[in-house]
Amino acid sequence: MKKGLIIGLLVAAVAFGAGMFFGRSGKQEMTISSSTQGASYSGGFKGEGGAATTGITSVAGPAPTNVVVVKDGESIQAAIKAAPKGTIIRVMPGTYHETVYVDKDDIRIIGVIEAGRRAVLDGEKKLNDAILYSGNNFVAENLEIRNYKGNGIMGQAGNNFEIRNNVIVDSGVYGIFPQLGQNGIVEHNVVSKIADAAIYIGMSDNILVAHNDVFDSVAGIEIENSRHAIVEHNYVHNNTGGLLAFVTPGLPIKDTVDVIFRNNFVVGNNHPNFGAPGSTVSGIPAGTGILVMAADDVVIEGNIISDNKVSGIIVTDHAHAQNITADPESEPNSDRVKILDNVMLRNGYDTITEAKALMLAEGKMGAKNLDIVRVGPSPGSCIINRHQYVTVGVSDFTECDFTNTSATVNYLLPPVPPREIKPGERGKVVYLGICTGCHTYNGRMIGPPVQVIQALYMDNPQGLADYIAKPAKKRDDYPEMPPQDYLDPETRLAVAQYMLQVTN
Amino acid sequence: MLISHSRGFAVTSWIGTLLLMYGAGAFAAEGEQLFAPCIACHGSKGEGNATLNAPAIAGQDAAYLERQLLNYRNRRRGADKSDALGAQMQAMATTLADDAAVAKVASYVASLPKTVNAAPAPGNLHNGNNLYQGKCGACHGGKAEGNPALKAPRLAGLDAAYIKRQFAHFRDGARGTDPKDAPGRQMAMMAKTLPTERDLDDIIAFIHRQGRPK
Repeated sequence: MKKGLIIGLLVAAVAFGAGMFFGRSGKQEMTISSSTQGASYSGGFKGEGGAATTGITSVAGPAPTNVVVVKDGESIQAAIKAAPKGTIIRVMPGTYHETVYVDKDDIRIIGVIEAGRRAVLDGEKKLNDAILYSGNNFVAENLEIRNYKGNGIMGQAGNNFEIRNNVIVDSGVYGIFPQLGQNGIVEHNVVSKIADAAIYIGMSDNILVAHNDVFDSVAGIEIENSRHAIVEHNYVHNNTGGLLAFVTPGLPIKDTVDVIFRNNFVVGNNHPNFGAPGSTVSGIPAGTGILVMAADDVVIEGNIISDNKVSGIIVTDHAHAQNITADPESEPNSDRVKILDNVMLRNGYDTITEAKALMLAEGKMGAKNLDIVRVGPSPGSCIINRHQYVTVGVSDFTECDFTNTSATVNYLLPPVPPREIKPGERGKVVYLGICTGCHTYNGRMIGPPVQVIQALYMDNPQGLADYIAKPAKKRDDYPEMPPQDYLDPETRLAVAQYMLQVTN
Repeated sequence: MLISHSRGFAVTSWIGTLLLMYGAGAFAAEGEQLFAPCIACHGSKGEGNATLNAPAIAGQDAAYLERQLLNYRNRRRGADKSDALGAQMQAMATTLADDAAVAKVASYVASLPKTVNAAPAPGNLHNGNNLYQGKCGACHGGKAEGNPALKAPRLAGLDAAYIKRQFAHFRDGARGTDPKDAPGRQMAMMAKTLPTERDLDDIIAFIHRQGRPK
């Protein structure tokens, strides 16, 4: 991290020197590049032997042969409970009012669609979560999920997951939320009306998010405190913010590195922000196409970014963001952002005061549009064909030494081993895999900060363990916490004890 | 539409107030009498007087007021050498006859209309908002309105000097150390987490923007 920062600063210094050189010879010349020619991006994830992985389309391993059929009126959870690990649960069309927990490996919940009729999980605004999985090699397909209060599908430290072809509507704060997972695919899902992120990749590695239709949510697709993610061919429209690469301070994983946003439609993300006031997500200005905050090595390429009223792309740091408390262990800047060719139309037509002030400072007050805004340091960043965009704050970006990412197919791997849990680490894994989905150490994400919880329960871990089993709503302006009573009492106490002693 | 709506609201709250007065009439009269000695410093409407170092108390949560009066009486607050102003209040609190009198005067003060601090303190509102949301709002409420469920008092309307003084007492071990003062101990733990004095100024600036007419 530190080394990366130093290199970043060096690059910035070189860029500054180059700018001065051009400055002397008058106006910087227009550099025109073609994205179909020129070098391909050679950064990013390297698999074993140093090669970028290519062509993997499934990560959950071979399909199990054991099949169980669940019919309308029966319980999916009961079938999973009875099934051995390595089972396909085939769910027939019908309506299922339940929360499904998957703590075994190699479980696949596959909906059967008959003449357009799906298996519908309906939480009736009473249940918190539709599916919670902690098993590895988990697959969820062809389901329809509605009216839950917490999450549509949430992963809790499961590796090698595939979540595809699902329809998720109005289901709480996160639609699809793999947390602390490695090697996963989220594709061909239709997700809408989510109060935080429709698709939220949290503290995960080696991820592909592709071909999803994401709309009417606060945040469309969010890559947060995660590494090596490719987000491509998604249609992201009418959210408050479309695509986001974030570092949320106060989470156990401290960085977001190596994210490629390419070939997405990022259109008209102007939805009024309906995130809980004061929460991180409520700080996103309505009208944001792509937002990069404190994430490093984000490549933005080949997207059609149009009609986002504040700006097509915003690059910023922790210091300038709303509702963010700094984390001394997180590097707060967006380092090495790489903006390649994108089609940018009609962005920034009704932008925010801060952006207008920056435009004024750069003598661009006449511009009717705004494609790219950079606020706060962003060392080592580059751009090609900058002349085609209306920009503020990118004059110190260098010319990228590549024009496309075609050599990088994806970052997926053959099935990876399950996360290793050492004896005595149960509390820690539950904290990372579950609690930090909503609680950061020192800021307001969804629930109250861990620091505050530590003050409230300083010498009472049992009290905290009891609370999480059966939470009571105490804060009008926070969502209600879902009960964690699917964890056994020993685990609840272990995680309470762990939570009360973490220091960041 | 707007007019008839707001009139409906006014009528409703007027009826509500009337019912409240009817139910608690006798109790309130006694509370008002007990409040008489407090007026000299806290003002006749409980609006506080910063020059006398007396905080605004009108409309504060009754349970909080009662708890603090009992803390004074039990020497859990205002007993530390560094808290001379607390010692004054401690002396006054002990003049109340018994716990029943404490409950009555607390209930009376809680029933007084909330006041809003007249002079907003300056500070960086961006930093103040972010720190307030990250450290304070989870208990004191997103708009500093207080939250009885978490035993957190209203902060909006308190003068800057009072907030700074109490914050320093919590941070430095003059308040919130008694094992029986659990909410005080919680606040003391949080008070130790704020990086700088300037951050506190910024947070106070944010608090002073809350609960005032737009």
